[in-house]
Amino acid sequence: MSEPGWSRAQRRLHWAVALLVPLTLALGFLMVELPWRPLAPKFLAYQFHKSFGVVVFLLVLWRLVLRWRRGRPAEDVALPAWQRRAAGLVHAVMYGLLLAVPVLGYLSAASAPAQVPTMVFLLLPVPHVLAPDEARFALLRALHLWLAVGLVALALGHALMALRHHAMGQPVLRGMWRG
Amino acid sequence: MTPPGRPLLRRHLALAGMGLALAPVRPAQAQLRQYRFDQKLGRLSFTARHFGVLSSTGQFERFDAQVMLDPADPSQAEVAVAVETGSIDLAWPGATELLRSPAYFDSDTHPQARFNGRATGVAAADRFRIEGELTLKGVTRPMRMEARLLRRGRDATEGAEIAEFSASGSLNRLEFGMVEDRTTVSDLIRLDVQVRLLVGPA
Repeated sequence: MSEPGWSRAQRRLHWAVALLVPLTLALGFLMVELPWRPLAPKFLAYQFHKSFGVVVFLLVLWRLVLRWRRGRPAEDVALPAWQRRAAGLVHAVMYGLLLAVPVLGYLSAASAPAQVPTMVFLLLPVPHVLAPDEARFALLRALHLWLAVGLVALALGHALMALRHHAMGQPVLRGMWRG
Repeated sequence: MTPPGRPLLRRHLALAGMGLALAPVRPAQAQLRQYRFDQKLGRLSFTARHFGVLSSTGQFERFDAQVMLDPADPSQAEVAVAVETGSIDLAWPGATELLRSPAYFDSDTHPQARFNGRATGVAAADRFRIEGELTLKGVTRPMRMEARLLRRGRDATEGAEIAEFSASGSLNRLEFGMVEDRTTVSDLIRLDVQVRLLVGPA
């Protein structure tokens, strides 16, 4: 199914996720690096990192529903087939990582021996489905970190390619910005 | 007039009868025996609350406890626990160091915390209360724990009869000179003890 352009909801969701992902990654590094005194900012940084992760996960699910129901604009046939295939592959991997990274973050939080609950913005509890386990925690935390770094690297490449196509006069960036 | 020994004997017989009813193969031992347990048989954890909605849990990796106990009647128990404060662990990078620091347990100056308590004799079903004194950072305060016999019976892996107990109680950390981070860490800290005693031979 193809549409003349991305719908307004699809565009807004794309940019919301594009804003939240780097923010959540930065908060992730910040929460680890913050000193232990005062304790409150460090503690809240962890909670907000987890909260943004939950939000990103839900927004990406919503994006996939819209993508499935509304499709996407037709691809530019002027582009070589291998570039279209590569772009499609990168988009699919990014969707996968956008879901996998928050899930791994949630599972590592659930496995953490410190057993800090996950409360979205200190309001909405997300029950932990796993019991604490130090070895599993270490493994999941490493996976969460490296897949997050991989996701942001791909997103950076994605953004650079969009800028390159824009510079070459192709309407991909404009299409995502204004429809 | 009843001889002084009679009611006690009768109580012992009654307990033995209860023991028979619960575990027909093994007669109940209606007297106090000494048991020891440490981190291999038990778990000593603590839970703090944060911002009213969150909590975190850590544990002590090394402790040593002596219990005088009649497994058939835990309401007479006596317990003495020595905890190595430096063995505190929250498995969160940096948190353990913070808890060992002078603002919290000050493990270098106060390497040991102690709890001495005895059951108050009021046992309701499988629950009983332990009252005693907790010494932490050189401060001694009364402390009450609610204890519970969780399970008693033969354990296939141990090949022996075991009794599992849990106990929990709360302390106010401010009373022990831990006054930092009150916006983030609750004043009340809950202590939880889980222990598995080998009460009978293989």
